[in-house]
Amino acid sequence: MARLRFIAGRLAALAVLLLVLSLVLFVLQEVSDADPVASTLGANASQEAREAARERMGLNDPAPERYLDYVGGLVTGDLGTSFRTRHPVADDIGTYLPATLELVLGALLVALVLAVAFAVSSVLRWRGAGLVRGLLFLGSTTPTFLLGILGLMLFYRDLGWLPASGRLSDRGAVDGPTGLVVLDALLAGQPAVAVDALQHLLLPALALAVGPALSIGRVLRSGLVTTLDADFVRTARAKGLTERRVLARHVMRNSVNGALSMTGLQLGFMFAGALVIESVFSWPGLGSYLGASIPVSDFPAIAGVTFVLGAIYIASNTVADVLQGAADPRIAL
Amino acid sequence: MSSVAGEQLAGVPVAPGADPTPTTSVPGVPGASGVPLARRRGFPAGVPGARLLTGRLPSLVMIAVLVLLTALALLAPVLVPYDPVQPVGVPYAPVGDPQHLLGTDMIGRDLLSRTLLGMRTSWLLALVVVAVGLVVGGVVGVAAGAFGGVVDSVLMRVTDMFLALPSMLVAVAVAAALGPGLTNTFLAISVVWWPYYARIVRGEVRSLAVRPHVEAARMAGAGQLRVMTRHLVPGVVPTAVITASLDIGAVVLTLASLSFLGLGQPAPAPELGADTSRGMSELLAHWWIPVVPGLAVMLLSLVANLGGDAVRNLMARRG
Repeated sequence: MARLRFIAGRLAALAVLLLVLSLVLFVLQEVSDADPVASTLGANASQEAREAARERMGLNDPAPERYLDYVGGLVTGDLGTSFRTRHPVADDIGTYLPATLELVLGALLVALVLAVAFAVSSVLRWRGAGLVRGLLFLGSTTPTFLLGILGLMLFYRDLGWLPASGRLSDRGAVDGPTGLVVLDALLAGQPAVAVDALQHLLLPALALAVGPALSIGRVLRSGLVTTLDADFVRTARAKGLTERRVLARHVMRNSVNGALSMTGLQLGFMFAGALVIESVFSWPGLGSYLGASIPVSDFPAIAGVTFVLGAIYIASNTVADVLQGAADPRIAL
Repeated sequence: MSSVAGEQLAGVPVAPGADPTPTTSVPGVPGASGVPLARRRGFPAGVPGARLLTGRLPSLVMIAVLVLLTALALLAPVLVPYDPVQPVGVPYAPVGDPQHLLGTDMIGRDLLSRTLLGMRTSWLLALVVVAVGLVVGGVVGVAAGAFGGVVDSVLMRVTDMFLALPSMLVAVAVAAALGPGLTNTFLAISVVWWPYYARIVRGEVRSLAVRPHVEAARMAGAGQLRVMTRHLVPGVVPTAVITASLDIGAVVLTLASLSFLGLGQPAPAPELGADTSRGMSELLAHWWIPVVPGLAVMLLSLVANLGGDAVRNLMARRG
């Protein structure tokens, strides 16, 4: 019961945050000088035609009414029409989102592996821990785009191990239900294509993962340090459990809490970072879409991308909260 | 907060007493590693880079580097050898060219001049963003912590909302809505940067407010204002300054990312992120054109982080 109430509370907070985000974007739309009428009719339209269009688009309604319209649109999946592509922004985002999701999920996986490696190695006082930490620290002070650039110079230009751009060597080699090329290729029974896709994914995902890995690893490490001092760990050791079992069964579970919420937070930075890294690797995702929208001030497109990625971020933080509750029953009380 | 892009780089020290239990995280504060400040004092090794800086001397050296960098930023317009926006040599001169130490770009502009001026903009803007965030967040945090009750609830609800929004994405939307330009970039980042400080300052004030010296001041008849200005604010300053100095690197990275996305100053102005982005097409044949400004961002963020560590070490030692 308490668990249900906890989840309901998190969901209510989620709804409020989405409303706040939509309000922020609405206000920004109001202050921006983007003019939907000029962009649909062109600059030479007559005064009457413009006025008629304003009336038809509801731009003459009072602000609260327009905000309600905007929220109503968001709820029904209407993000407006892009000034640039003239397509509904929701359709455009549907086209580009899977690539970004694949990139961020890949980066998340890499970040978690690096974080655990860093945290566990430093808690176990393994000799290489300092090196791992130093490399992650250097990596996290490096702008994401520079990591991408240096990676390209080393692994593409000099070594020739990894491809430089795109998601696949052969565009359109695979078309599947998830939109995630690696998964789709596996589902279609084309392991060679999946490997190709993985090779394309590796470098951008790594560039994106380094900074978050350090943040997550640090929190996980301090969680591990705190838990290792706990009485129940001494008990577990005293009753003769192997160190491996103590770590896996007793310490880890009680230490992942902070790391979980940090992972949720870092996901937001990864989505923002993806926007940057996509333009380095010509990754055909929302970052490339945004990159094309910014120079022409296509605000509906920019706001749409912000809202969708923001919503994913807020939702994943809610999931992280709920998972925390599952990992640590004390949270719900 | 950075990330990327606005990656949150440095662990934000958490006010002792902000959280009664020695937990592992501070929900809502990205970058907070959750180790209470008091504990950090005992174990400075908990922070990367700190191991290099255990003595007092290295910290002082790092502070000197910070000051030097700021002086360099202020004096950059006088120091640069060439006009940053005009072609002043042959295109594609490589790094190490006797006339152009860091080479020239595709239209023959001097990369050393452009990069120095770009560093100036990034560094000074980052300092201003952090300072403004500190003042705004500090006022909100002190007010919430000192008055408590309804004021506290309302202010902290608003703060939490800002903290829960994806800051870098909101900054992108703000910068895009306001259009290109230095002031707008500054606004875009400042809007999302103050809430961390509000949270941290508020926690610190709450824990100070129940300390004996503050109670004694109240007993002695000091008014709310006097308690705030004489007893609460001075107590908050060390934590706030430490937090802010650890944050500058993250602001530098966030600025660079916005600029890389085309949300900085318009074209001919020297700007590190935008210069890197524009130089990308030259990467394979003339690597220095995108790499030089990119490395400059890294240098700024590295100095800022090590400098932040140094500030924390020195202040923690003294406190």
